[in-house]
Amino acid sequence: MKLTIGHIYPDLLNLYGDQGNIRCLEMRLKWRGLEAEVIPILAGEPIDFKKMDILLLGGGSDREQKIACRYLLEYKEDFRTYAGDNGVLLAVCGGYQLLGTHYRTKDGYIRGLGLLDIYTEWAPRRLVKNIILESPLSPCPVVGFENHGGRTYIGNHRPFGKVLFGAGNTGKSGYEGVLYKNVLGTYLHGPLLPRNPHICDHLLKQALKRRYGQDIALSPLWDQMEQLASLDMLARSGGGRKYAFS
Amino acid sequence: MSGFRRILAVRCAKLTGWLIRKLHRGNGASLPGYIAGFLCPELLSSLSGMVREKVIVTMGTNGKTTTNRLLCHALEAQGKKVLCNRTGANMRGGILSAFIQAAGPDGRLDADYACIEVDEMEAVHIFPQLKPDCVVLTNISRDQLDRYGEVDTIREKIKAALLLASKAVLAVNCDDHLSYSLLFECPNPAFTYGIDQEIFDATPLKPGSRESIFCRLCGNKLDYSLMHYGHLGIYRCPACGFSRPRPKFTVSQITRKASPEGISYSFIIEGKGLGKICADTSTDAPYNVYNTLSACAALCILDAPREHLEESIRSFDYGNGRENTFYVGNSRIRLHLAKNPVGFQQKLSLLLKDPSPKDIIFQINDKAQDGKDVSYLWDIDFQCLAAASPVSITLVGSRCHDLGLRLKYENIPCCFGDNIEETLRSHIRQGTGNLYVIVNYSGLSDANRVLRKLQERRTL
Repeated sequence: MKLTIGHIYPDLLNLYGDQGNIRCLEMRLKWRGLEAEVIPILAGEPIDFKKMDILLLGGGSDREQKIACRYLLEYKEDFRTYAGDNGVLLAVCGGYQLLGTHYRTKDGYIRGLGLLDIYTEWAPRRLVKNIILESPLSPCPVVGFENHGGRTYIGNHRPFGKVLFGAGNTGKSGYEGVLYKNVLGTYLHGPLLPRNPHICDHLLKQALKRRYGQDIALSPLWDQMEQLASLDMLARSGGGRKYAFS
Repeated sequence: MSGFRRILAVRCAKLTGWLIRKLHRGNGASLPGYIAGFLCPELLSSLSGMVREKVIVTMGTNGKTTTNRLLCHALEAQGKKVLCNRTGANMRGGILSAFIQAAGPDGRLDADYACIEVDEMEAVHIFPQLKPDCVVLTNISRDQLDRYGEVDTIREKIKAALLLASKAVLAVNCDDHLSYSLLFECPNPAFTYGIDQEIFDATPLKPGSRESIFCRLCGNKLDYSLMHYGHLGIYRCPACGFSRPRPKFTVSQITRKASPEGISYSFIIEGKGLGKICADTSTDAPYNVYNTLSACAALCILDAPREHLEESIRSFDYGNGRENTFYVGNSRIRLHLAKNPVGFQQKLSLLLKDPSPKDIIFQINDKAQDGKDVSYLWDIDFQCLAAASPVSITLVGSRCHDLGLRLKYENIPCCFGDNIEETLRSHIRQGTGNLYVIVNYSGLSDANRVLRKLQERRTL
């Protein structure tokens, strides 16, 4: 069994550690004896949606996001079809903002893919800190680091998780990220997947199900290092060990 | 009136600095400055106005401290009196403290030159008072994201600062298109420097690990005919024609010489007005070729005296506590600071140049000065570590498991230590005798202290 993972515009949208998400998807398949192919899609290159099982849209600065949009808007319809057909799409930070209809930046306006009816607005104080979530996709707390000036309003969409510690989408709503079918948008760096292997496995399961038309059980992996790293962070994030693994 | 305030501020600050050192509460590099600034807000402006010749500022993501210290060293060799924030305390407090240290109790300054490194984010607040005559811009690349923000934010801050000091002449690294393109946006007179020869390891970077390779002017992707590291190299925009110019100052005949003490770089620095400078350095790090070049360019631009320049370069200690070598028993211990992804990668390539078996200790902390976000570890290519003949890799620090997780993905075995002192001792006691220690900011002074202590005692 094999999955194909497309990394969209790594030359543009690659802020702190996005590469880690790709490595995680790839290795957690390989460690289980499954096959993985990673295709970096550079800006200007065509995206073959039919071939893709998982797509990653990473973060970039406001300026880089604007450049990325030039190329991406061409595929607006393809993204819609892909997501509607349960295609797995992970969008982090800048990529998350691009899922919406628009992003009103400090001194401009970036049109988004409009995949979801959400939007982002710039606000003066950046939200920069460790963040901890409770998410339906993971049995244990989801940990990461958020660093964003934009506030994302997700309307009636489902959030990715409830904020236990940190700011989240707007700093006020108490929720972080967005979930729609197999589209996951989030502000969490860390990178998200290596730090939170349950989320990675969830995405892999969904992608396998879509490709092979049936539920495929993933064999358990020894995730001790991930747990130790999470505990380090939980211990340092004001939350103490309150949210530690049970 | 202002004279009285100035004297009061200088004296209070000097007293504070003395107390801090007496009570062993640090080196007193920043606090006195803050106190003086509070007592006399115009202090920096008036002290800086008393510098007899020139005020030289160095800024940029990497290479500030070395360049700044080399400038100071070269000017002192000419018999000049130079004030310098050589410890790298580059925020307002640290800069003021350096000025206060050079001032007498009468509040008057006695200095021919001021060599000051300035934090990129702080520059915009400091330049109006400091009024630099020359600004050396080493490079702009991504630093700790949580502290500095995206690379565009850093660049905007630098630009704003330069616009406030539009008379200052710039020495700009034109291999860095983010720095070079600033010349189109700022009115300052400027000179460029750059390297044409390939000296950095062409580490095969994955397409994703590169960044900032899009044209500042039109947004198209740049073509590179030579890539040094990060986004530095010889570039050209195929769409608008923006390209790396021929630098005014450059280096040639770069060679790496092997001697009993190790590898060292020597090269020729050339430029209009500079003639040919033979740089015979003691450094084994290619990035110091840039630092030496930028310092020479600045001295030439300002027409500072430089008869003893070659000698100064030869005798210059590039380490400054950020790259130190210690000897304890039969062990050689090399301590390095790595503070951002680009710097980290450069340190790893130093490991690769030493083929002998080695033990490696990494300390990863997440205090404010280190960056609270450790995800930068995923932008560093650790795969190359496997080729560095490590006998053991030990991780310490408050976020050591994050690096452990990163290494798990490269299938590189490692173990964990409780604290840096114990880990150092045990590796010196029973190691290969060739120990590399790579730490981030908050761990640096501790590691230096422990190693100095061990070296003085000569035993464990």
